[in-house]
Amino acid sequence: MSQYFFQQLINGFSLGSLYALVAIGFSMIYGIVRLINFAHGDVVMIGAFSTLALVTAGVPWPIILVFVLAVGAVAGMSIEMVVFRSIRGASQVTGFIATLAVSITIQNSALMLLSGQPRNFLFPAFMRQRVGVGGVNASLTDIAIIVLTLILIGGLFLIVYRTRLGTAMRATAENLTAARLMGVAVNRTVLAAFAIGSALAAVAGFFWGGKFGQIDPLLGFVPGLKAFVACVIGGVGSIGGAMMGGYILGLAEVLFVGLLPQEYSGYRDTFVFLLLIVILLVRPSGLFVRQVEERA
Amino acid sequence: MLDVRDLNVFRGSTHVLKDVSFRVEEGELAALIGANGAGKSTTLLTLSGLLPPRSGTAVFTNDGEPLDLTRASSEKIVRAGLIQCPEGRQIFQSLSVSENLAMGAYTRRDRAGIKQSLEEVYELFPILAERANLHAGSLSGGEQMMLAIGRALLAQPRMLLLDEPSLGLAPLVVEKIFDVIARLKSTGVTIFLIEQNAAMALDIADVAYVMETGRIVLSGTGSELANNDRVRQSYLGVAA
Repeated sequence: MSQYFFQQLINGFSLGSLYALVAIGFSMIYGIVRLINFAHGDVVMIGAFSTLALVTAGVPWPIILVFVLAVGAVAGMSIEMVVFRSIRGASQVTGFIATLAVSITIQNSALMLLSGQPRNFLFPAFMRQRVGVGGVNASLTDIAIIVLTLILIGGLFLIVYRTRLGTAMRATAENLTAARLMGVAVNRTVLAAFAIGSALAAVAGFFWGGKFGQIDPLLGFVPGLKAFVACVIGGVGSIGGAMMGGYILGLAEVLFVGLLPQEYSGYRDTFVFLLLIVILLVRPSGLFVRQVEERA
Repeated sequence: MLDVRDLNVFRGSTHVLKDVSFRVEEGELAALIGANGAGKSTTLLTLSGLLPPRSGTAVFTNDGEPLDLTRASSEKIVRAGLIQCPEGRQIFQSLSVSENLAMGAYTRRDRAGIKQSLEEVYELFPILAERANLHAGSLSGGEQMMLAIGRALLAQPRMLLLDEPSLGLAPLVVEKIFDVIARLKSTGVTIFLIEQNAAMALDIADVAYVMETGRIVLSGTGSELANNDRVRQSYLGVAA
């Protein structure tokens, strides 16, 4: 039982890593422009297909990873420049509709370009082998996902909390006017947040095929939605919260399926959104956001 | 140093600033007084490049180099040395005190100079050094005001725009803030001060302007205005 449990734990952490990667970018973008980017999930799809194309072309894996990060960054910056820049300061509804339009545009362009036929996509055989540690055996793919995600998130935290750019991003997210009065070139800072957040989402796409074995042009919808749930769990706009929300969601989902009787596993997504509703009712500001009280 | 002529600014469809003209000479402390909603903060936001004017000019000249504030980006204006300490302090609550100060020096690259400015600010406000690693949101109102001024000083202002520095602060803290303003002036920083506390502002101002419903209606030296009947009645609470 405990071996089975640990295996599920690894599985949950691996799925949670994917959600965390997507959720962090989602949260960064919301934090800085105060608009929800519904096209964020589609960057996952773009990352997945870029990976497939490069694998097919025989590019070595480490270079693919770097390339996918770059593709994600470019995709994110394009979304910012084409859509968000023109609706800066708009209401939530405007942002919702505009980004939904972007999402539909990206999905349908991908459908026309790539066809709706799902593609098989697998990591190389050595990545799929299972390794045993003390009776627990996990696929190398899951372990790679967990480790690489931790490294990327570590890098992100260094950027956000230890660099001049990161400080400017946090300052801009909190108070746009004050940041401008400090001489921050807000457009560039916002662009950087989109680039970094979307690069992480694209890496989730890089892992996606390896984990699930199949990719299709509409695959971004579900991770986009779940990243939103993860953000609500952790507190929208908080990077650490989004990360924790992603891991909690991944673990909860896998444990729900793995530990409850088989006949409930079909209710996996129902469970996820039930969780969303409960959290919205109980802690609408998220589990990890302290209510900052402002002093006069 | 600052030459504003016939500035007209709209916010939405509201005509907020109407043909506003004034000058601030290098090394001067100029005050702009007026009631709430007269257009004082709008004036400052326009000077910092955050509100585009409908018409008029505003030229900031530093070291003989003129900068058209009506066209320049806020970033460029900060780099030119025109620094604003905004209304309501607007410090970054979620950042630490030292990160707030670092944001003040955002446009600067001279590490040694930044370090020196930081030491000067810590000397001016020792409490900020004590609280350097705390979240700025946990500071008291007076400490937040000191942080807002300290942050502006880290930008190495040639001219400082101060928007209501006394607002909502205890009298002792206000006195301290005004002491600091006087000290800054003595070090050669040009200051443009917006205040509702007209008595204190006129007391330290070389020149002052009175703004009513978006127009400059009176101007003169600080003491001239302090003795003007209209100012005494409307802003200094002296019965006619």
